[in-house]
Amino acid sequence: MLDKALIGRRSEPVVNEVEKGAVRRFAAALGITDEVHFDERAAEAAGLRGLLAPLTFPATFRSSIELREALALGQRGLLHADQSFEYFRPICAGDRIQVVAVIAEVAERPGATGPMDVVVVEDEGRDEQGNLVYRARKTMIVRPAPREA
Amino acid sequence: MAVARKLYYENVRVGDELQPLLKPAIDRVTIARYAGASEDYNPNHVDEDYARRSGFPGVFAHGMLAMGYLGQLCAEWVRAGQVKRLQARFVKIIWPGDQLTCRGRVTDKRREGGEYYVDLEIWVENQKGELVVKGQSTTRLFHSPEDEDRQRRGLSPLIVEDDHRPSLVEVFERELPRIEVPPRPAARLPPRNAKPRLGLDDDEDALPAAKKPPTRTAAKTVKAPKKK
Repeated sequence: MLDKALIGRRSEPVVNEVEKGAVRRFAAALGITDEVHFDERAAEAAGLRGLLAPLTFPATFRSSIELREALALGQRGLLHADQSFEYFRPICAGDRIQVVAVIAEVAERPGATGPMDVVVVEDEGRDEQGNLVYRARKTMIVRPAPREA
Repeated sequence: MAVARKLYYENVRVGDELQPLLKPAIDRVTIARYAGASEDYNPNHVDEDYARRSGFPGVFAHGMLAMGYLGQLCAEWVRAGQVKRLQARFVKIIWPGDQLTCRGRVTDKRREGGEYYVDLEIWVENQKGELVVKGQSTTRLFHSPEDEDRQRRGLSPLIVEDDHRPSLVEVFERELPRIEVPPRPAARLPPRNAKPRLGLDDDEDALPAAKKPPTRTAAKTVKAPKKK
């Protein structure tokens, strides 16, 4: 059972720079070929400020919450169960996005092999003017530690 | 490069299906590339030994790889429109060798103020046709070329009041072919020498009075006089 006192814990804002190379690598890893992710002229022609980050790119942003440490997981594993993003504007290379993460939920839920620990983390990203850029919410299942090698 | 034809709200119908997105089979290199690009080095995805000791048959793909594919599906569908929301639930583990297909369908369209939204139901299937990821998306489109032109010129959006709502007949015609009728279980014949099967009502009469559901008993007492 994880510590429920962690619910509501909020991280300090961390600035994430959206780098061109990172956008290109991310799009390539997904097999996306649309030029707006690779070629600045194509992005500009589409009315964008820079290379367009693919929709799930905010999953790469870091916050100051190190989930494994915060939850004292030790050797226990994490499995991603659910993810959502809400977008308030496109995210482009050159953006500097301030990310704040909140531990929204720590709970025990019935699972196929007995009760399991579930953690929900919510992120919020803002641009340098303080405007909301995206919101994210992810649900992770905490798994038992692996057997000793 | 050919200019992609644009998608407008006025041309979208509830029930429309998105062009399926077929992805190449996933291998360990696909997974490693995604781990690097996303800086997600969860050992279940990259460390075969760790994955086995954690009770899995081996490494498996990040759910976010498949969600990335769903993002691609939606982005390619909306073209110049915007994806406002993307959600995914990871239903089944994706293994090396799996070949994924992303699919989607329009579930709703609506105007809110001067903005036109289209909701999608989206999902990912593996090569066996099993559901591996299930999700939803909300997209925003221009109503029509006229609406786009106005907004690009800085004018107020076009407000179209009479959005076409499909009639019940249209909905039935669209949905009926999709409703799968489960095969009927083979009729179980009574053994040859069995007594003729009693009707449901007769069966209930055979129960002790106390076990009868009170509502049915009440209904019967009302019905009884009619049988005369």
